[in-house]
Amino acid sequence: MHGHNEALFLEEISSFLGLYYLFLAALNAGAAFYLWRRGRGIRLIGPIRSFHCWLLLALLFTMIAPLAFSGDPQVMRWISLPPSVRDFIDWLMGPVVYSVGTVAVLTVLFVGRRFFVKPTVAWLMLNGALLFMGLAMTDPDFADIVRKPDNVPIVGLIYLLGYFTWLGAYLAVENDKRIQQGLPPKEKELDEKVLVWPDLVYTELICMIAVTALLFVWAICIKAPLEEPASAVKTPNPSKAPWYFLGLQEMLVYYDPWMAGVVLPSLIIFGLMAIPYLDFNKKGNGYYTIDERKFSYIVFQFGFIVLWVTLIVLGTFLRGPNWNFFGPFETWDPHKVEALNNVDLSEFFWVRWLQRARPRPPEDAGMLIKVGVILIRELPGILLLIGYFAITPAAMVVWSRFFRELFKKMGLFRYMTMMFLLQVMLLLPVKMVCRWSFNLKYFIAIPEWMLNF
Amino acid sequence: MSEGNKPSIEEILATCRRLDQGRKSGARPAESPQPKAEISSPAAPELAAAEAAQPVKESQPQPAAVERRPASQMSVEEVLAAARRKPGQAAATGGAQKPAEAKAAPAKTGAQMSVEEVLAAARRGAAAAKPAESPAAKAPQKTAAAAAEAKPAAPERKTVPVPADTASILAAARAAAKPGPISKAEAAARAKAAPAEPAKPKALSMPERPAYLQPRPKPEPAGPSRRSFFGALVGVIFGSSLAVGFASLFVTNLLWLLGLARFMFPNILTEPPTVFKVGYPDDYAPGQVETRFVAQFGVWIVRYEYQGQPQIFALRTVCTHLGCTPNWLEAEQKFKCPCHGSGFYKDGINFEGPAPRPLERYAIRIAEDGQLEVDKSRRFQEELGQWKDPASFVPV
Repeated sequence: MHGHNEALFLEEISSFLGLYYLFLAALNAGAAFYLWRRGRGIRLIGPIRSFHCWLLLALLFTMIAPLAFSGDPQVMRWISLPPSVRDFIDWLMGPVVYSVGTVAVLTVLFVGRRFFVKPTVAWLMLNGALLFMGLAMTDPDFADIVRKPDNVPIVGLIYLLGYFTWLGAYLAVENDKRIQQGLPPKEKELDEKVLVWPDLVYTELICMIAVTALLFVWAICIKAPLEEPASAVKTPNPSKAPWYFLGLQEMLVYYDPWMAGVVLPSLIIFGLMAIPYLDFNKKGNGYYTIDERKFSYIVFQFGFIVLWVTLIVLGTFLRGPNWNFFGPFETWDPHKVEALNNVDLSEFFWVRWLQRARPRPPEDAGMLIKVGVILIRELPGILLLIGYFAITPAAMVVWSRFFRELFKKMGLFRYMTMMFLLQVMLLLPVKMVCRWSFNLKYFIAIPEWMLNF
Repeated sequence: MSEGNKPSIEEILATCRRLDQGRKSGARPAESPQPKAEISSPAAPELAAAEAAQPVKESQPQPAAVERRPASQMSVEEVLAAARRKPGQAAATGGAQKPAEAKAAPAKTGAQMSVEEVLAAARRGAAAAKPAESPAAKAPQKTAAAAAEAKPAAPERKTVPVPADTASILAAARAAAKPGPISKAEAAARAKAAPAEPAKPKALSMPERPAYLQPRPKPEPAGPSRRSFFGALVGVIFGSSLAVGFASLFVTNLLWLLGLARFMFPNILTEPPTVFKVGYPDDYAPGQVETRFVAQFGVWIVRYEYQGQPQIFALRTVCTHLGCTPNWLEAEQKFKCPCHGSGFYKDGINFEGPAPRPLERYAIRIAEDGQLEVDKSRRFQEELGQWKDPASFVPV
């Protein structure tokens, strides 16, 4: 993939990496200074307080910076990830581990949110993420993906999203503590009116100027990601959607274009519009809280972070030529062969399980017979989907006390609407995992009528 | 007259709540002597109005002495504050002037008043103070009574119809305060309050318009002009001049539409022909996929076999998933789409990725000169059984 060898690459990246480590050092030193002046660092062991740690980290990063500036392969080896770790991460970033692992990590973060939102812990995690990126940048393949002008905003997005999710969770945890103690939420207690002029308008003006300045710097530093002239008969390889649509593009891998391009996006929009009519919980209005709106919080974060953002990240960093999966440290080889011999559910059922050919309508049969044979051929998938959409909501009411409460409060129509939306949402990861683990192509595949699900 | 000086509903409500709370707990904060002193006062409106004015005071804490200063020495803010406080004072005076209103809640002390009564009293105070406000801003020392006297002096300012009738204000305030059914006692109290109103202020009538403002009659045109002649002519032909306008608009749009329709059928097409020749069948080795014609015609010529029968066919270079152009990978012997990873065997059958059906074939035949000729106007789909059509391949 690279026209130059390792040493040339390291020399090229060294100036950026050195500045990056200096930036990290400044970040930590600033944090330590701020905490020290305010006297707010928490006590760790004896007289050691958190700002001592940040100062130490700043010192460490300052010492790493000259190593990075050197650009010498021998020296840079010390600030790179060892090959075994890279291979391990490549393996970790395989589709199944990636998607299931994301859900697992987010679950751990959610369950232990009272610990993870602590500023000290969050700052440590931020440092860890930044340090990982610094160490990984010495790998040419990783640097190639991350530094691609198209992908720079997505790297920024990951950190911004992490920050805002942390901020929301932090405020919510604080409020939950207050509510437990019988106090009103912080936002209600400090319910001060803010004037539009000058408070809001000034803030907006400053933000506008700052963003404009940032865009200037961005436009000067990073070249526009222009490609070769468009041609109807030549598609770039890989051909990626704009970064904000990569989730949709990933969805298209698992569904028919009709489903993934029209039905599901419309359902996303209609589902979001339906939320006010489905949500009967009056709490959490105007203040951050998780405990009072656990169900809504989980559903939203699952839909947004797992189904939207992680798919964008997957599409950006892990999809390479021919839309194959590549680990972040793997070279993009357009001739990588992956066994993706996808099989429809009807073939699983008739051919593999019943050991016979799939029913095929005779060539000269009438319309009705053809329809009947096709429906019989796809019966397993049809039954499965009907069962999924019709039986699951009822079963949840019978088995789960929580869903019974939901049903009682919402009534049949609202409950079924909500369950349908939830189930469609869940169907995507289910199908993804089925595709990756069993090479399942479609539950219902009727190419004769352009109908695949 | 600014509406902002009237105590808003929120302020009145806040006052009422405070009153209610104070009554419930039974102990009022000692540092607010004003309401405490007025609890014992029988004039209920005074209390309510003073309370209603209080939030304004709280937001701009100023010594009461400021009010005594002449207007010329006061800053704008002070004047404003004074003007805001005025409703309270005015209400107090108004309450004193109207003993009938005080009778409306005869034996009640402030502590026994219902929320509606407090509201109504506050509204009454505000309404009484309203006319006084603009003069009050000029001279804060004036009493509301004096300001009320000054009211007729500026009748033309009164553009907004203020319901001067106390009964109607009361009813409006009650309606706003408590919609829905009322108890008998409340109804009785209302009935009592209604007849006890003083005489209504005289309704003001608009003065006569002066002569110079009367609309002048337009001078009659002297004789038929040229314009009116043409107008009459056009009117005779088309019905009216408006009809001319619409008719010309319709004709213009029709011409545009016709032009657009003509645009759809250009004289010269720069597209490549849909029927073209791709060489002799002998040019193709068994198992060969010719990618030469992709750039110009969007077609692969393949010499391979389908269902055991060796043949030459033309595959359309459009992925059946979402329409990207797949690449022919010689090493892997497959077509692979870069957009979503769909893969097709050499014969065009889909086997990996999301593509739901095989690639499509174009019609192909051997022309009179022995060359292969592809016709892009006809397509053949495998899932519909059309690949058995002899027009879709050339046997070799």
